[in-house]
Amino acid sequence: MPALEVRAPQMRVAVDIGGTFTDLVAYDPGQARVRFAKSLTSYPRLSDAVFACLEQAEIDLAEVRHFMHGSTIAINTVIQRSGARAGLITTRGFRHVYAIGRGDRPRAYDLLFDKPVPLVPADRIAEVDERMDARGEVVRALDDGSVIAAIDLLMEQKIESVAVVLLHAYRNPAHERRIGAMIAARAPGLHVTLGHEILREFREYERTSTAVLNAYVGPVVSDYVAELDARLRDQGFAGHFMIMQSNGGTMSAGLARARPVSMMESGPVAGVIGAARLGQALGISDVISFDMGGTTAKASLIEKGEARTVSFYHIGGAETGHPMMLPVVDIVEVGTGGGSIAWIDAAGGLKVGPLSAGAAPGPVCYGLGGEEPTITDANLVLGRLDPAHFLGGRMRLDVEAARRAIGTRIAGPLGLGIERAAFGIVRIADARMSLAVREVSLAKGHDPRDFALVASGGGGPLHAGAIARELSVPRVIVPELPGTFSALGMLMTDARHDLVRTRIADIGRIEPGEIAAVFAEMIAEATGLLARDGIGGQDWRIVPALDLRYLGQEYTLPVPLGDGAPDAAMLAGARARFDELHHARYRHAAPDEAVEIVNVRLTAFGKVAGHLAAFGDITARATARAVAPIGHRAVWFEDGSHACAVYRREDLPAGAMIAGPAVIEEGVSTTILHPGDRAVVSTQGALIIDIGAGR
Amino acid sequence: MSEVDPITLEVVRNALVAYADEMATVLCRTAYNMMIFEIRDYCVGIVDPEGRIIAQNTGGLPIFLADLGTAVAGAVATYGMDGFCPGDVLISNDPRLCGQHLNNIVIFTPVFAEGRLVAFPALRAHWVDVGGGSRGFGSTASREIFHEGLQLCGLKIYKAGEPVSEVLRLIGDNIRFPHSSFGDLRAQIAGCRLGEQRLGEMFDRYGYATVRAAIETIWDQSETLVRAAIRAIPDGVYEAESLLDHDFLDRATPIPIKVRVIVEDDGMCVDFSSLPPRLKGPMNAGRSGGIACARVAFKCIVAPNAVVNEGEMRALSVILPDDTMLSALPPAPLTFWSSAMPTVIDTILRALAPVLPDRIPAAHKGDMSGLAIYGHDQTRRRDFICLDIFGGGFGAKPDGDGVSAVVSVCQGAVHNAPVEVQEAYYPLLIEAHRLRLDSGGAGRHRGGLGVELIYTSTQEFLANTHLQRTLMPPWGLHGGGAAMAMDACIETAEGTTLAGTALDGARIRPGDRLIVRGGGGGGFGPAEERPEALVARDVAEGLVSIDAAAAQYGVVIDPASRAIDAAATATRRAAMARARRAC
Repeated sequence: MPALEVRAPQMRVAVDIGGTFTDLVAYDPGQARVRFAKSLTSYPRLSDAVFACLEQAEIDLAEVRHFMHGSTIAINTVIQRSGARAGLITTRGFRHVYAIGRGDRPRAYDLLFDKPVPLVPADRIAEVDERMDARGEVVRALDDGSVIAAIDLLMEQKIESVAVVLLHAYRNPAHERRIGAMIAARAPGLHVTLGHEILREFREYERTSTAVLNAYVGPVVSDYVAELDARLRDQGFAGHFMIMQSNGGTMSAGLARARPVSMMESGPVAGVIGAARLGQALGISDVISFDMGGTTAKASLIEKGEARTVSFYHIGGAETGHPMMLPVVDIVEVGTGGGSIAWIDAAGGLKVGPLSAGAAPGPVCYGLGGEEPTITDANLVLGRLDPAHFLGGRMRLDVEAARRAIGTRIAGPLGLGIERAAFGIVRIADARMSLAVREVSLAKGHDPRDFALVASGGGGPLHAGAIARELSVPRVIVPELPGTFSALGMLMTDARHDLVRTRIADIGRIEPGEIAAVFAEMIAEATGLLARDGIGGQDWRIVPALDLRYLGQEYTLPVPLGDGAPDAAMLAGARARFDELHHARYRHAAPDEAVEIVNVRLTAFGKVAGHLAAFGDITARATARAVAPIGHRAVWFEDGSHACAVYRREDLPAGAMIAGPAVIEEGVSTTILHPGDRAVVSTQGALIIDIGAGR
Repeated sequence: MSEVDPITLEVVRNALVAYADEMATVLCRTAYNMMIFEIRDYCVGIVDPEGRIIAQNTGGLPIFLADLGTAVAGAVATYGMDGFCPGDVLISNDPRLCGQHLNNIVIFTPVFAEGRLVAFPALRAHWVDVGGGSRGFGSTASREIFHEGLQLCGLKIYKAGEPVSEVLRLIGDNIRFPHSSFGDLRAQIAGCRLGEQRLGEMFDRYGYATVRAAIETIWDQSETLVRAAIRAIPDGVYEAESLLDHDFLDRATPIPIKVRVIVEDDGMCVDFSSLPPRLKGPMNAGRSGGIACARVAFKCIVAPNAVVNEGEMRALSVILPDDTMLSALPPAPLTFWSSAMPTVIDTILRALAPVLPDRIPAAHKGDMSGLAIYGHDQTRRRDFICLDIFGGGFGAKPDGDGVSAVVSVCQGAVHNAPVEVQEAYYPLLIEAHRLRLDSGGAGRHRGGLGVELIYTSTQEFLANTHLQRTLMPPWGLHGGGAAMAMDACIETAEGTTLAGTALDGARIRPGDRLIVRGGGGGGFGPAEERPEALVARDVAEGLVSIDAAAAQYGVVIDPASRAIDAAATATRRAAMARARRAC
């Protein structure tokens, strides 16, 4: 045993960059102390806010072992169309696949409908002579001359980044690889995206769109990650720099530079992971995360401690966005946030959103020039917000202005009292947000009564009680510091890599060895990635799965396989499990019919040792203080006004119990207990609210 | 009827559509045929016992806007309000009520509240086969409805939760792919059961009377909005005409389409009095077909982005005599019941184009563009059938270019089939899927382009096409040019080219190429007014040829340098403008 032990750096830091704020949460397992920081997001140099937070939290980068990071930079680059001048190389005859898309018009009756504007126009798309068939066999060899002509054509167009997507390269990537090598030789320094390195699944338009997204955001994100990495290392950071991915896991910063498309939903996803971990810490493995901000609300379902992912997503909205065929934590978003505007349509119907007053001019009560009543104004009129303590008292709210706006624009025309109109606005908002929660639960065959709602974001704790009532969710959980919940979630996130190979075969007839060989290849790739993340073999977990369907169907369900090389018994088991899953999800099954494999999937998790494991760590706090309200005020509920006790969150010790109606305030959020609700403070600091328990 | 508070109203409004969408998800995700999951040939709704639409799914086929309720109302007439039990399942493709080809099967189940029959969840889906003379999208050879398969006119296939096995066996014995169709049936029933459950929950929570009052209020509000939109259109009688190719029997005789639209105060009337009588070939639709055309055009004009319900249609009246091609009576053949619809809808829009110059685009491709390829796959040793809907152009808009490569005005959420998917499942090799050069109509705003698809195989296969609008190209508006029309051909291994627009089991041998081409959309405004830079961009993107840039737009581009010849362009454009003024 050595006489002197030098303590290795142990600290973990998570930084989440959002549209308005950059949040930091840091934790050192040896010190049982959690630090927080919040700073305005800095444009254009995002890393400035990161360093402002590091300074605020007094973090010595030399002490940091893991730096976890989530950022909206990738998705904002797409939405603001500020990405690279990108080009595309594809198979002869298929130049326009990217412009053609799938041919649908989601707004069926809108004669003036437009498709999304392509990120790469057709004059920067070049064709090469080559062709594979669906089995990956060469029908036409790659013609090097056509490749050189294509590269030269695109370089004349002054591209900064290029994607290469060839037909059926998901099955045999040889031609894509050859073109990649030729580009490296002829145009060194160009950012190159080879389609098969992003994903190995069929459907040429969706794969092209995904690769183009990667090429488009690649240079911007790569530069950003490199710059942040260099600045961190300049100041003594020598640990692992990990980036949050849309799939709910992290990846190394190096991989993020090559596959930035994987970090599109980097920020919101971490909050979902946080909700899953909080649920586990509380012994509640089935939860729905609900996050309400200024302009949108988001819901996501967690079953048995796992966030659900979907393998397909649109960047920039379902109707006009760019398809991305990569696993994304299934988050449903609705355009309802604190700033959503209430209005009356031509037929006299009361509507809320989707227009938002945003941060400027903001709700009427901010006094910044807003004239249209918002959800925040309605909450203020109903007594749910304290005008003197908004944002920890940094902003004073104008109740009279909010009353006037609701009175003249909503209550008057509808012939309602002002409180009644304000209550209507809040109820409609609750109904709309309930739809998001409904969509992730009921619409997927889950009964909300079996779940708890984890409320985060500035508005989540304010509205979660009503939404839980609407959908008969029995319990609401409000974590500590719901406003920085995403950054906290990152401290609990493991590395994750999703791999897929399209391989169509009848599960009853395929030679198990064939599937085993595909898995062996994928495992080699996945473990290589985990090793690159700096995670030792003892912390790997490999989850193989098959996408299955009844022969003749189109949509598949992913069916997990057990450990070890697949054999006939394992395939038979997967088939039986598929029947069960199909019945659970869709209420019918056909155990007598043939089942087909479409995709082989593999998810590799790498546990980050020493991560924040339990929320108890963050709430070591005296528990002896008496629970006393700091005051009382009138708050409106469905049955009228109630005199409510108002509590300060930081005064509440573990085990404290509070009966609704009541208000619990903290820095940037307010929790409302409806009449009949009962809240208990858990040892982890979370508020556990049983809806209607006191009735 | 009791008053509903505005908040409950909004909750009910959102929930009803969410239910229909949820039912559609079950159907789409678990159906067994491409017509449903890929082509989206289905519609889902909640209907009252009088056949009125309470809610319809978002993203279904617009042509089903009219008629989900007719099958339900027919069954209520047959069995009576007291003739249903919980657990019943009914099936219908009654051509007299539905007016469509028999493949479109409606499944519906009764829902009760407080002991009364109050609603039916209903799901219509296109089954791959219902017996009859052909497979795929159907045969051009049908002369009467009896050639087209089984007619199932509101039969109970489950009574009080128990299957009526004789009826199910009868159906199974008379269709070609019972495995597939009974899979679809299971999916449809599962959707209905889900709808029953969701409606039950809603009635329990709010009470039936409140929900019913909310529905009436929703209808009234929709009507109010629509009437306000109509009032903004100048009163008048507007007319337009166009031409369909033929009825698939007498291929030498085009079919003239004439419509009148009467706008008066806050009401609109579509007058189909001049439609041709029932056709001998299978290009007819029943009455609901004509109504659907009027409704789709009406909705596009007055309420394009509103949720579908019965109320918004109250301001529309339709004059439609019996036994025209869009109100055909049995035993008229209905195989291609929807083929006339894109053109008829375009013609209604054309009538209103002069008074709505900022809202109505030029004509679109005007065809449903279905393609069926089938045969025996020698490698997998099984029969196959591959269906695709290929894209065409939409008309140029008052403020921008038309959209390229999309489905017709009748098909909304329908998708094309990816080339990689078609090749992975079927023995096909597709040489190209690209935009069809010069197919968009020239104009200040260019019409959208159609696609070109080239099919080959190392094995023989068979092909069905039944294209319309190959004769009359999609028109331009306000000085814009016409687009290229729909087209298809077979280029044989020997080098001859055969017409391919109306194929019925045509043999495509190894070495032959089947080429289908979507029509473009018409142009909007004079082509010589299109900015030169946009014409040059179109040339660079492979949308417009150098020749067409000069001939149609007057923009002269040097083929070697790709630069615009400014002097030649100015001269040419001035001449075009002079010629236009002289007209």
